[in-house]
Amino acid sequence: MSKRFAQISSFLAVALLAGCNKSDSSDNAPVITKEGREVPGAARTYTVGMSQCNLGEPWRVQMNEDIRAAAAKHPELKVIFKDAQNDTLKQRSHVEEFVSSKVDLIIISPKEAQPLTEPVASAMDAGIPVIVLDRALLGDKYTCFIGADNKKIGKAAGQWIAKKLGGKGKVVELMGLMTSTPGQDRHTGFREGIAGTDIDVIFSADMKWLEPDARQEMESALARFDHIDLVYGHNDPGAHGAYLAAKAAGRDNIIFVGIDALPQEGVAYVQQGILDATFRYPTGGAEAVDTALKILNGQAQTVPKKIVLGTRLFDKSNIAQGGEALP
Amino acid sequence: MNDTADAARPPAWKTFLGSPGGRALLALVLVLAAGAAFNADGAFFKIGTHRDTLRQASVYGILACGMTLVIISGGIDLAVGSVVALTAVCAATMAIHWNWPAWEVVPASLAIGGACGTIAGFITAAWKVQPFIATLAMMVFARGLAKYASGGMKVSTAVQNADGTYHYVEVPTLFRVIDHRILGGNLSMVTVIFIICVALAWLALSRHRWGRYLYAIGGNEEAARLSGVPVVGAKVCAYAASGLFAAVAGLCQAAQEQQGDPEAGAGYELVAIAMVVIGGTSLMGGRGGIGLTLLGVLTIGYLDKILSINAVPEAGRLVLTGVIIVAAVMTQRRNRT
Repeated sequence: MSKRFAQISSFLAVALLAGCNKSDSSDNAPVITKEGREVPGAARTYTVGMSQCNLGEPWRVQMNEDIRAAAAKHPELKVIFKDAQNDTLKQRSHVEEFVSSKVDLIIISPKEAQPLTEPVASAMDAGIPVIVLDRALLGDKYTCFIGADNKKIGKAAGQWIAKKLGGKGKVVELMGLMTSTPGQDRHTGFREGIAGTDIDVIFSADMKWLEPDARQEMESALARFDHIDLVYGHNDPGAHGAYLAAKAAGRDNIIFVGIDALPQEGVAYVQQGILDATFRYPTGGAEAVDTALKILNGQAQTVPKKIVLGTRLFDKSNIAQGGEALP
Repeated sequence: MNDTADAARPPAWKTFLGSPGGRALLALVLVLAAGAAFNADGAFFKIGTHRDTLRQASVYGILACGMTLVIISGGIDLAVGSVVALTAVCAATMAIHWNWPAWEVVPASLAIGGACGTIAGFITAAWKVQPFIATLAMMVFARGLAKYASGGMKVSTAVQNADGTYHYVEVPTLFRVIDHRILGGNLSMVTVIFIICVALAWLALSRHRWGRYLYAIGGNEEAARLSGVPVVGAKVCAYAASGLFAAVAGLCQAAQEQQGDPEAGAGYELVAIAMVVIGGTSLMGGRGGIGLTLLGVLTIGYLDKILSINAVPEAGRLVLTGVIIVAAVMTQRRNRT
C-alpha cells in the first residue's frame, strides 16, 4: 500500500513540477539535445532524478534544499525528488524508475554501497550519467562522486581545539554512533588533530548522534569531573545537549565545539553564543547541480571523477562574515 | 516466639519478597547496590546524579503511566513514542513560532495527543482490530504527521525569514518553566510532572470505578462484558489516557530540548513497556499497578545512569541491559506459579 502511495505522490510531484515549469519554457534560444540535434524554437529542459536515502535526517533535508535552491537558478532544470525512507530496496527501485522514465541525469545519495552499485551501473549502461553524493559506491561505474571527508573535518576540529586550549586541557568527547563511519572518522581525525599536545580526553561516550543522549552523558561527565575545559561533540545537537546539561548544572567557562554547521542548527547555535565553534559538513547539493549542468551541457570531460569538499569553520570571530573556508 | 505458628506461616519478609512489589523492589535495590559498588569515583553519591537520573527517567516514566493503564486492560500502545514527537513538534511550533501563551499551548498539545490515543483506542475497541496493529498504525501515522508538520526539520528558536536567513527568538517561558529546577536546584520540574502523572494514574486505577473496569477487562473481557462493564468505552478511555500522558511527555521533551524534533521519541514505547513489565505488571492484562511501574521506572533509570557514569561502551550497555531485563522479568514469573 505504501508503494502505491509513493507512486501516486511521486506522480503528483511530477505533475506539480511540470505545471510550475510551463511558464518558464518560453525561452526561445535554440538548444542542442543529447543526440546533437538542434531543436529550434523550444528550450531544451532537462529532467534530473534525485534519489535521497533518508529524509528523516535534517542534514539530508538540507541537501535536498541546497539542490532545490541551486536548480531554481536554472529554469532549464527540472528536479524530481524521491525519498527512500532509509530502505535500500526502495532506493534501488527509485533508480530503476528514473531509468525507465528516461531522465537526463541521476543524482543519488545512496544508503549503502553494495546493493546500489549494480542499479547505478545499469543506469550508466542506459546512457544516463550519475552523480553520487556523500556516500561512495563500489567500483567506478558512475560519472562523478562528490563528498566531504569526515576525518579531515575531525582533524580540523582537533587542531582548532588544540590552538584554543593552548595545547593543554581536559576534554569531553561525545561521539556519534561508533558503528558508523562518520562517527569513527570524526573520532580518529580528532585524535590526529590533538596528537602531540597535552590535551587529556577525560570522558568519552557514544551519544548516537542524539541530543537527549548527549545531555545524559554530559550530566554523567559533570558528576564525575569538577573541571572540564571543553566539550567536543561529533554533531551540533550533541554539543547543544551538552551545553544544556552544563548550564543546568551551573557550570560556566566550558567551551563547546560541534560539527555539521547546518544553517538552522550549528550556525544558529554559534550566533546565539551557545557553541563556540562548529565545522561544516557540506551537503554538496549546490556542487551536484553545478556538475550536473556541466555534464548536461556536453562538458563531461571537464568533470573530475571525485570531488572532495572542504569544510568551513564558524566561530565568534567570523560568523558575521559567513564563516571561513578551510582547505 | 511460637514454634507452631512459625512453621504454619512464612516470615513476613518472605511473604513480602514473594509479592510482585517486593520482587520489583528487590531488583531496584540490587541495581542501587551495583551503583554504590561501581560509584565512578564517588559520582554516584552526589545529589546531582540522582536528580539527573530522575530527570532522564521522567519522560519514559510519564509514558509508562499511560502504558500501565493500557497493559492492565490487556492491550498495548506502540504509538506513544511517535505521539511524543508529534506533540513536541506542535508545541514548539505553537510556542516558538506562533508565540501562543502557555494556557493555549498546553491544552492544544494535550488535545492532539488525546485525539491520537482516542482514534487508536476506537479502532481497537470498537472495530476489534488487535491493539498491536491499531497502535502500530497510529505509530507510523503520528510519525508522518510530525514530519509533515515540521517539514522534516527541527522546530527550533532559529526562525527562517522569507529570504532564507534566520532570526532568533527567545526560548518560550513555558519551556523554561518545565525545564526549571526547584528545591534549591535539587529537583527537576519534569520529575514533579512525572510524580503528578503517577498520582493521577494511581487515583484512576485504585480509587475510581474505571480502574476496576480496566482490571476486569484485562482479566477476562467476555466476563467483564457480561457483568455489565462498558468494555468499549473503558478501553477507548485507556488509550485516550495513554495519548494524553504521551502529550505531557512530548511537552517535557520539547522543553528539555528547547525545540520540537520530528525524530524524537523513537523507540521510547519499548522502554516504557520494559519499565511496566519489569515492575511486575502482566503483559496478559488484569494484574499489576502503578506502584510497580514506578519501581520499574526507577530500576531502568538507575541502570542507565550507572552504566553512563562509568562510561561503559555502547556494546556493553546493550548486552547488560538485555541481561538485566530478562533477570528482572524471570523473578516476576516465578512468583506467578
